[in-house]
Amino acid sequence: MTTEIPNQVAGPGAVLRTKSVGLPVFSRAVAQPLRGVGGLFLMSADAVRFLFRRPFQAREFLEQSWFVARVALVPTLLVAIPFTVLVSFTLNILLRELGAADLSGAGAAFGAVTQIGPLVTVLIVAGAGATSMCADLGSRTIRDEIDALEVLGINPVQRLVAPRMLASGLVALLLNSLVCIIGILGGYVFSVFVQDVNPGSFAAGITVLTGIPELLISGVKAALFGLIAGLVACYRGLMITGRGAQAVGNAVNETVVFAFMSLFVINVVGTAIGIQMTAK
Amino acid sequence: MTLQALNPRVFRELERPITTLGRIGDQTMFYGKALAGVPYAVRYYTRDIVRLTAQISMGAGTLAMIGGTLVIIGFLTLATGGTLAVQGYSSLGNIGIEALTGFLAAFINVRITAPIVAGIGLAATFGAGVTAQLGAMRSNQEIDALEAMAIRPISFLVSTRIVAGMIAITPLYSIAVILSFLASRFTTVFLLGQSSGLYDHYFSTFLSPTDLLSSFLQAILMALAILFIHTYFGYTATGGPAGVGLATGRAVRASLIVVVSITLLVSLAVYGTSGNFNLSG
Repeated sequence: MTTEIPNQVAGPGAVLRTKSVGLPVFSRAVAQPLRGVGGLFLMSADAVRFLFRRPFQAREFLEQSWFVARVALVPTLLVAIPFTVLVSFTLNILLRELGAADLSGAGAAFGAVTQIGPLVTVLIVAGAGATSMCADLGSRTIRDEIDALEVLGINPVQRLVAPRMLASGLVALLLNSLVCIIGILGGYVFSVFVQDVNPGSFAAGITVLTGIPELLISGVKAALFGLIAGLVACYRGLMITGRGAQAVGNAVNETVVFAFMSLFVINVVGTAIGIQMTAK
Repeated sequence: MTLQALNPRVFRELERPITTLGRIGDQTMFYGKALAGVPYAVRYYTRDIVRLTAQISMGAGTLAMIGGTLVIIGFLTLATGGTLAVQGYSSLGNIGIEALTGFLAAFINVRITAPIVAGIGLAATFGAGVTAQLGAMRSNQEIDALEAMAIRPISFLVSTRIVAGMIAITPLYSIAVILSFLASRFTTVFLLGQSSGLYDHYFSTFLSPTDLLSSFLQAILMALAILFIHTYFGYTATGGPAGVGLATGRAVRASLIVVVSITLLVSLAVYGTSGNFNLSG
């Protein structure tokens, strides 16, 4: 049993070295994932705490927001348009068969706001924003730049993680609105010009199923996704194991996988809670 | 010459169309070479193909510890199947036809969610893993070493992976589809309390074998495209560790776009504007 004094400076490097006396010792296969999850939670708690402690890194926050937005904008457009067309195509087949093609506006708006918006945002923020963040932080870690920060008395969680987390959340929120707009517009164009739906009834249907509560829930979901993707990316980038190209590549790979997994779970839970809250 | 040296940005912008076209040509040539190398790879690198098939379906490194590609894709499809049931049950309930949730599971799961989610899972797990691996080999000059030893690097590294991916995709996708069905059924019957006979009736009435086959076609095409993109980005990675990380991110971004586009194009091609769907049976 080592009684190593836990390093109280909440550097991410300190988390893994901490060991408590008296706890059962797990095998490596169990302990490592558990430790990873615990470390992520610890770092997230720190990052949230540092949001309320001055100085807030406004410059880093702006730069990161711009960075994520720049990386994510084009892929968002390119994913959202085919996705929208696919969903409204399938929905319209269904609605026409039911004799309710007039409701395709309602279907398109509901699908875009409740599912497509948050889902596409997840994919892009995790696939484009988080990967670049993780590659950036990971290569800094293996060049010992993070250790250098700690030596200079700068907390990497405060300086790097907190602004990135916020930036990712903000951009996700904005992207979500963009995807919703693309979703409704794309649904309109495809339904009206390709599948011969009446444009007036499409426009009238938009607000049938979708109102302010749905929009709010969709925004909250997207912002949560963004925050979590940012946190996972930062954690995996700072906790890189090994050196060299393979290590950074693996870290980015795992960032994508873990971000997608946590986000899909949150989507189920968020959808269920949202439905409970908006049930009439 | 001096003009170019004095105005590097202007010239970079002017040359952009040419470099873009050049990149497209470069990728096409790479894909052609990779496909042309397949017979050679099957003939001479059979053992590597078997090893890579195992690696692709079970994952490598930390990802293998939580079960690899199989578990991750299964997990993602479980989650979306659940979401679909929750959302579908409540939306259909709004217009009083929640009895049709089973129909929704058979229809939407097969046509939209299972292909897209499986494609996303493939891109995130084995796609990104391949980019990281090949990028690391490139940055450690292992690919140059292969060439120096007169081993054909594209056959040995890329074609073997493509063959292995094609072997692994069918069982992986079958499991993904089955899990999405199970998740929808579990959520609707056990969590939302619909009677199982009602659910099963609408589910099996509207589960069409041709839809399933075309969704397998989507999955196979997606896996091929994902492998092409990810091997290309890994094989041509530059710029050391940071470059490999960036290449992995860029490859994931590109393959997300391709996954959605392929699903859309195959749907439009297979189902046509009429939809190939009949509610009355």
